[in-house]
Amino acid sequence: MTDTSSSSPAVVTRPVAPQQLAWLRTELAGWTSEGIISEEQAALISSRYRSEHHARISVGRVLLYLGAGFVGVGLIWLVAANLDELSPVGRFAAVAAIWLAFLVGGEVLAARRASPPLVGAARLLAALGAGAVLFQAAQSLQVPAYEPRLVGLWAAGTLLHGYLTRSHMPFFVGLVTGVVWWFWQPMWDAPNGLTVVLLLGAGAVLAASLAVLHDGWIDSFAWAWRTVAGGMALLALFAAAVPDIGSDGIEWTTWLVVALVVTGVAALAAVLTRPGLRVLEPLGAAVVLVVATLIGLWTTGTDTSSVDAADWAHAAVAVTAYVVLAVGLVALGTVRNHQHLTWMAMVGLVVFTTFQSFAVFAPIVTGAWLFVVLGTVFLATGFLFDRARRQLAHALDNDSSAGAGDGAEGEAR
Amino acid sequence: MNRIAATGIIAVTQLALVGVGVAPQLSARVTGDTYLVRVAPVDPIDPFRGAYVALDYPDLRHDASQSFVEPGLGALDDGESGDVYVSLVEEGGVWVAETWSRTRPDDGPYLACDDRSWQIRCGIESWFLPQDEARAAEDLLRDGAVAELRVDGRGNAAVVDVRAR
Repeated sequence: MTDTSSSSPAVVTRPVAPQQLAWLRTELAGWTSEGIISEEQAALISSRYRSEHHARISVGRVLLYLGAGFVGVGLIWLVAANLDELSPVGRFAAVAAIWLAFLVGGEVLAARRASPPLVGAARLLAALGAGAVLFQAAQSLQVPAYEPRLVGLWAAGTLLHGYLTRSHMPFFVGLVTGVVWWFWQPMWDAPNGLTVVLLLGAGAVLAASLAVLHDGWIDSFAWAWRTVAGGMALLALFAAAVPDIGSDGIEWTTWLVVALVVTGVAALAAVLTRPGLRVLEPLGAAVVLVVATLIGLWTTGTDTSSVDAADWAHAAVAVTAYVVLAVGLVALGTVRNHQHLTWMAMVGLVVFTTFQSFAVFAPIVTGAWLFVVLGTVFLATGFLFDRARRQLAHALDNDSSAGAGDGAEGEAR
Repeated sequence: MNRIAATGIIAVTQLALVGVGVAPQLSARVTGDTYLVRVAPVDPIDPFRGAYVALDYPDLRHDASQSFVEPGLGALDDGESGDVYVSLVEEGGVWVAETWSRTRPDDGPYLACDDRSWQIRCGIESWFLPQDEARAAEDLLRDGAVAELRVDGRGNAAVVDVRAR
């Protein structure tokens, strides 16, 4: 005989805000009265959610993370500045003991199923403590702290921590330090405008590839990589459109080549292992990399007192490319239900349009006319952008209605 | 993965990364040979990094240029930046610079430095000390002193002591 009670999957209730639960119950009551669903189905749906006071918890979470952040930064500062009464070995041992206590303590708390914010705070301290140990050792041995190598090693250690424990805080520290290192290391060898553009574009491809590879594996990490990819793509085109940023050409260095090779390998892995429409993300980022590089290489002269046809063409191509990227990110944000991408695209477009207007028109249009021109350009791009966004959301809504009907909430129009 | 094993792997790996971070200076201290060079003071206290003595090396200096932000050994000003190798020769019981080169010398002794931040820096420009000892070291340096360096076969250098000449 089969024990169906034990074989059926347990219903996991999801915590939602009280207002959301109240809204859902009102809707369920309406659907039940209209005969769309039965009362049993409404009860079943309702039982899958529970009310949770997010506001109160989030304050505690913020305080815990803020406290952990302050303690971690203070720890590093303390080590750097005030532990001069101890011998170098004594300092290293003290900081290593504190780091180890946070690392082990965080995992013990996790094993005991302590409150997630508390576990997160302990893990954040451990991640910051790893940096403190590294910089303390460097200081004790007079290792130059101005080189990017130490930040790269810190990033590697905390990313490993984040991945092995699937925890957000070490992953976040690793992501931030990793992004810093991604730019700092190649720029250390060749501080060059086009290097920045290439690193931003390649960073977008790498992060988009990693986002696709993480989909269905670690979804929250995929969200973070996708956010980084969107930000880097926007910044790549922004930097590329700065007049004459590429006047020095590309300066190839070992680290730049390594960064591009790593990017290519990640993109290839995404294409080979995640076939289908998902590959559009890394491929789209690759297009951004190529377009940004070409725009960066397109120099129109350094005479800022006059705006000729080449300057107009440069600005038009740059604005068009940026609008296309922004619309693409809005599409991605809508499809992935990733609101941050949509907001990043809109804010990026506002800043980019403003910057371009000032950069291109300021030499020939001054005072009140500059604002008139800027406003006109801004209104035109805003109108076109909003129109594209509406059409896209409408098309996606129709597709989802005609498809399996996965219940995704439609984009507000 | 077992949580204990994962924690152990994280701890061991992060410590190993610390080892990688300090490997050049560790190598100099453990495997390096000892060289004495003349030292002079530059700047006593950085409020953000605690007390340390910023060291100047008159016999290793390329020219008189100095950065108030980052102490160094002068600037090559050859239109390039990157790795710099300072070959050493012995003169009167101390070691002095003989040549400055962008390519690694075939044999030593030499210091592996870089001038990416304009000034030539070899990782021996500062010596961290407790506050009171830093002041005493300042007095010592003004009266004339030598630094004991350990330099390994790859030119990695570390300051192990500063003492009266």
